Amino acid sequence: MSNFEPKLVCFSCKFGWGYLGDEAELTAQIKNWIPIICSGKVDAAHIVDAFKGGADGVLILGCPEGDCHYQDGNFEARKRVYLLRRVLSSYGIEPERVRIVLSTDPEGKQIPNYVREMSEALRRLGPVKRIRLPSRETAGATAKK
Amino acid sequence: MATKPKIAICWLGGCGGCDEAVVDLNEAVLQVADAVEFVLWPVAMDFKYHHVEGMKDKEIALSIINGHVRNCDHEEVARLLRQKSQLILAFGACACFGGTPGLANFTTKEDIFNWVYRDAPTVVNPKGNYPQPKCKVDGKELTLPEFYGQVYALSQIIDVDYYLPGCPPPPDLIASAVNAVLAGKLPPRGSTLAPHKALCDTCERNKTKPPRIALKDIKRIHEVEANPDTCFLAQGILCLGPATRSGCGDVCMKINIPCRGCFGPVEGVKDAGSKFISALASMLDVEDERQVRELVDKLDDLAGYLYRFSAPVSTLVRKRV
Repeated sequence: MSNFEPKLVCFSCKFGWGYLGDEAELTAQIKNWIPIICSGKVDAAHIVDAFKGGADGVLILGCPEGDCHYQDGNFEARKRVYLLRRVLSSYGIEPERVRIVLSTDPEGKQIPNYVREMSEALRRLGPVKRIRLPSRETAGATAKK
Repeated sequence: MATKPKIAICWLGGCGGCDEAVVDLNEAVLQVADAVEFVLWPVAMDFKYHHVEGMKDKEIALSIINGHVRNCDHEEVARLLRQKSQLILAFGACACFGGTPGLANFTTKEDIFNWVYRDAPTVVNPKGNYPQPKCKVDGKELTLPEFYGQVYALSQIIDVDYYLPGCPPPPDLIASAVNAVLAGKLPPRGSTLAPHKALCDTCERNKTKPPRIALKDIKRIHEVEANPDTCFLAQGILCLGPATRSGCGDVCMKINIPCRGCFGPVEGVKDAGSKFISALASMLDVEDERQVRELVDKLDDLAGYLYRFSAPVSTLVRKRV
């Protein structure tokens, strides 16, 4: 497990994070970085799909509370994350694998730090266990597990 | 007789409610019986599986299969019918999505066995026997179907041509599905034979919904006496209507029960639960995360509520251990 490299997906709002920074440089530093317009755009289904697609964690960087360009998208995201974390634990996925930070960093220099810090936490948790569904021919053998 | 299309109706891990729904077609079922030849219907008629095994491949025009797949017996019957049938209709919430038995995907096979054969207060099992797929009794080997590690929807085991959801599917949709098969007027394979829109679109109570639902409190239906004409969500009662396919005939609404989601996700959506999370989060009229916690933590089993009928086909499928 020591050489396990967690896969982290980072969504960040373009209004609060990295809009003055060098996007190419940040992209080179941060794997799976998805700048978006408003953290409120991140649907619970996007996070769930990220886990399905092999992510070990999802980090959402939104604007400071009370400071959303679209009124309250960041707080909507925070509420969503709270609900989703409860559901994820029923699927045996640790709630701390989804994190939301409401703050701002126009230069974006903090983004790699947040990603590194969360990646460390994910490294300690280990990978999310993958679920393999049976193929049409070998359902029985797979299904017994 | 020989020219009539052959039809099989079969249950896997089902409760019998779907078979009952077919019988509930009343006189119409007699017309169907005149137009087709039943070759298998374990609940109602005395055909055996070896009769089906003796048939040619694709000899059955349509197999209507209800129930989920949880053991090797379910799987064997599903595969047999797939081999012998031109069309497979996944009938009811269990066949389409795993159904309420699919809630077992939030626990493990081991936990289920420990509870049922050891820990439940009503269990008397001094020898600590657990069911085994094979065991010897008086020198003879007895077998039981092997219990799988999770619940599967039918489409996770065999190719399914059409889906008819519901717990159980309503008579009008059953009749139109069977008539469509008999008339050869079927939509593209893989279609769900039900409307595409969300239940809220057809709900009579929708007109009482305020422009923006703002919940200060969440209630469950057994905790309150719900107004029989007003939108459940507007009353603060969880209702899965926004994230559930319509077509049920609003039968639960009519008896003052909120939607539980038995018709599954709306067209184009895979994971109804996560869609409802986004909808529900927007409805919570709270100031900070502490208030969110106070509202949401009252719900004992949020995942079970959101995926009551659809955990096996949800994006995350089952609990990881």
